[in-house]
Amino acid sequence: MRVGSLTVKPPPFDYSAPDTLEEALFLLGEAGDEARPLAGGQSLVPLLSLRLARPSLLVDLAGITTLRTLGAADGHLALGAMVRERQAERDVRVRRLAPVLADALPLIGHPAIRSRGTIGGSLSHADPAAELPAVALVLEAELVAESRARGRRSIAAANFFTGFFTTELAPDELLTSLRVPSPAPGTGWAVDEVARRHGDFAIVGAAAMVRLDTSTGRIGEARVALAGVGDTPVRLRETERMLDGAEPADGAFADAAEDAAARLSPPADVHGSAAYRRHIAGVLVRRTLKLAAQRAREAA
Amino acid sequence: MQHIAERYTGASVRRSEDPRILTGSGRYVDDVRLPGMLHAAFVRSPVAHARITRIDVRAAAEAPGVTLVLTGEELERSLVPGPGIAAMFSGGAPVPAFTTLASDKVRVVGDPVVLVVAESRYLAEDACELVEVDYEELPAVMTSQAAQDPASPAIFEDLASNVLVRSPVAVFGDVDGAFARADRIVRADLRQHRHQNAPMECRGVVCSFDPESGELTVHSATQGVHIVRTTLSTALGLPPEKVRVLAGDIGGSFGLKLGAYREDVACAAASRRLGRPVRWMEDRLENLTFSGQAREESFEVEAAVTNEGEILGLRVKMTIDTGAYPGMGAMLPELVKTMIPGPYKIGALSFEWTAVVTNKAAYVAYRGPWASETWVRERMIDLIAMELGMEPLEVRLRNVATRETPPLRMVTGRSLAGVTARESLEAVAAKVDLPAFRRLQAGARGHGRYLGLGVATYIEPAPGPLEGRGGGGIMGPEQVRLRLEEDGTVTLFTSQMPHGQSHQTTFAQVAADEFGVPIEQVRVVVGDSDLVPMGFGTGGSRAAIMAGGASLHGARALKARVEEIASHLFEAGAEDVELSGGSVAVRGVPASAMSLAELARAARSPGRLPPSLAGDVEVTAAFDGGEGGWSGGSHAAVVEVDVETGQVRVERYVVAEDCGTLINPAIVEGQVRGGIAQGIGAVLLERSAYDEETGQYLSSTFMDYVLATACEIPRIEIEHLETVPLDADVNFRGVGEGGMIIAPPTLCNAIEDALSPFGVRVFEQHLPPARILELIGAIPAG
Repeated sequence: MRVGSLTVKPPPFDYSAPDTLEEALFLLGEAGDEARPLAGGQSLVPLLSLRLARPSLLVDLAGITTLRTLGAADGHLALGAMVRERQAERDVRVRRLAPVLADALPLIGHPAIRSRGTIGGSLSHADPAAELPAVALVLEAELVAESRARGRRSIAAANFFTGFFTTELAPDELLTSLRVPSPAPGTGWAVDEVARRHGDFAIVGAAAMVRLDTSTGRIGEARVALAGVGDTPVRLRETERMLDGAEPADGAFADAAEDAAARLSPPADVHGSAAYRRHIAGVLVRRTLKLAAQRAREAA
Repeated sequence: MQHIAERYTGASVRRSEDPRILTGSGRYVDDVRLPGMLHAAFVRSPVAHARITRIDVRAAAEAPGVTLVLTGEELERSLVPGPGIAAMFSGGAPVPAFTTLASDKVRVVGDPVVLVVAESRYLAEDACELVEVDYEELPAVMTSQAAQDPASPAIFEDLASNVLVRSPVAVFGDVDGAFARADRIVRADLRQHRHQNAPMECRGVVCSFDPESGELTVHSATQGVHIVRTTLSTALGLPPEKVRVLAGDIGGSFGLKLGAYREDVACAAASRRLGRPVRWMEDRLENLTFSGQAREESFEVEAAVTNEGEILGLRVKMTIDTGAYPGMGAMLPELVKTMIPGPYKIGALSFEWTAVVTNKAAYVAYRGPWASETWVRERMIDLIAMELGMEPLEVRLRNVATRETPPLRMVTGRSLAGVTARESLEAVAAKVDLPAFRRLQAGARGHGRYLGLGVATYIEPAPGPLEGRGGGGIMGPEQVRLRLEEDGTVTLFTSQMPHGQSHQTTFAQVAADEFGVPIEQVRVVVGDSDLVPMGFGTGGSRAAIMAGGASLHGARALKARVEEIASHLFEAGAEDVELSGGSVAVRGVPASAMSLAELARAARSPGRLPPSLAGDVEVTAAFDGGEGGWSGGSHAAVVEVDVETGQVRVERYVVAEDCGTLINPAIVEGQVRGGIAQGIGAVLLERSAYDEETGQYLSSTFMDYVLATACEIPRIEIEHLETVPLDADVNFRGVGEGGMIIAPPTLCNAIEDALSPFGVRVFEQHLPPARILELIGAIPAG
């Protein structure tokens, strides 16, 4: 027996719009995995309409003002989970303290989408093709979560994305903020992606940071992370280690790209085969590392 | 009285539609709200091919807010059996038997199985989830090769197989002689991929049956109100005069919204049964999955050519995948056959075709439905040029028919009178400066940049030359009715049904010029089957020439009628009466002037006019296209291919188009640009993809079916040629379809040119980034 459901109308659900974080955490704690927090709705609402998500309760976070703060202190940039992507994109502190994030934000959808979409919503949704999860990895950001049961805890980005659209967050737990450490002086960055059209999810996206050793001019630290190549965003630590102490030259980046591509088993879909994604990953790893190194040189 | 300084025709008059549409005040079928209105949703097949073994609707019927649940079997009892709209575009191919809602079998993912009517769409959808349908799955027939395998399970059991038509071989000219004389034979297997209309507004209908009067009123998003009336009245067994079809603003169609679909019939029947209005608005998932798709055709082509680039003859075998249910697919190959020589002196052609049925959405009309003739021919010309080491433009100019040199006729028989392909080719070549581009291209390759130039040319029968044009039937003459109202304005009634074409502006321009009033005094009425003259509606690029011509002749007839009435009222000879600037007067006697409003009132006053003139001041005029002629043009595109990512950027796009006399240049340019945008989409972005094993549809959202947006469309440079007037009065030609016909070969040619250092030959129309990398060998073919 099969039941046909070709629809774009959500099934019934209850809706609650708390004013405070405490109230939201209470509601999530009571409802367990029957509830879903609603942030900007740019992913959850389509999933509801396609009846792919069927929560019994939506907890709308839009009214919780404490989740909307954006600030910089003690070498960290702190973005509340409900900071809209558009707001972060236009903020000078984000540009100054996390240029790799600032460069990634305009690649998310279109302005109308970014005006609704939130930093926390995108990270919690954990779409492996989305920009922000990969950027969080390359930035070695900390994700702050809260629940009534566990209180507040901080999760390293490297441990946050656990699988296909799944995270370390428990059903009753809410991502409340993203903490981004400032890059070391002399660090260059780059973000690039290949998408079918501007604003689409990346077929493959890449974010890189490169710090050059000021005395030798060699690579002091290289980081690179990819979107769209697996169940989660991928940090290429082995590839990064190849670059430790290397000359920031085309040959090194080409070798790194080849190494990176060989390690991946990306998915296939209507937009491209696994072989295509692997090839694009290599191209983007090389292009982003090269540009990041160039910016690092300019910064030095 | 307003002074009319110059003609509206030929000027970029601002669209009278814009203030309404751009301020969000348009009225679409989705805006229709009727008292007591109910909402329909359909349970649709989740599988491509299966027998239905059981349907249980009991739980759905008892769900909150549900007023009616109909299975196919039950619905069929209230309908008159027959093929409905399916027969209209079958081109004489067999039309298989099937029910409005699938009852014995499902034949495509999305096939409607059960109708649920409820107090809201949400409740209807909730109830749909309670309907239980058991399917006994059959192997899905997903390719034309599979369909031609005699072992494939028959999708329609009353057809002998999944081969719908296998045509005889049609031979024009001395084909064997041409191939015997040829220096070389160039062969190619060419594939056009399935893609689809995807209008911004999906399909939709509100059906309202009045049990007292027995009348059915239908609000529909449609390209023609009368075809909807005919199909619904036939299916429901109602006299046509008891069915009134209304259409408001329409958010695009591109050929999709022709006639009443199966869902429309089901909603009309439900409304008759319930005595309440029933509304169905197609959602995007339904639209992309089921409404219809187009273009899936493949060709085996051989060209007989000389070493100098003369094309002596073509042998063409065409296969078309018409999908599961009859649409327009089966009627297209014959059009492709007669059009494939295009504006060229190709001396011989053999053509045969096969149409098959598969478990995919129906093949529907899509902007320039026969466009494969242009893509195949223009692709072959570049392949021939590549083979001979010639500049493709040279091969075109060597073979193109010119008006100075007989025979000015395609080998398939169609006259090429008035053709201007050579002029448009020369215009685009001059504009892109071909020698300069070749130097730029060579220099760029030295820096690892791959630029390419593509040129292509086409003609379109919009309406085509008088000779050989079918005179009657649904595509016959177009009528308009014009009435002088008591306030002195003119109302023009047309069966044309604008869905983006700006008819309310363009027909008013033509009529205002001919009648001699300010354009604001001409109102164009569309979209009411009780008011507008009987007609096909909008399609086949017929509006500009057929309805534009009828508007001109109608306005002329109305002017003659007004002058005749005035001569009676003034007791002057008709030749002494003059209509100008919104009033009539005896020539040379300004004091005699009578406004058109006064005249219209006088005509209705008893006793002032002889019976033949008394009453409404109204005329009807028809126009059959007159001498007609070809619409057409040439396009040139410059692209850059990133050979690392496979991404293609259109750097420059140049058009030289000839649609005869321009009614409104801005509107013509909008049509050209819109068509090119869809052509760019076809080549770089859009594909209706199926899983060939399971038959599941893979492009069912706009994340998977990617349309071109403003970011992907370059600035488009347009030059207008108005080369050859053939008719004394009416030399407008259709321009809606051309951009979509010619952009795909233009781009494919440009991409192949860019990739020529890799030895790439392009045999397919769809060239997304992944495919580009496969073609150059950067990644293995997937």
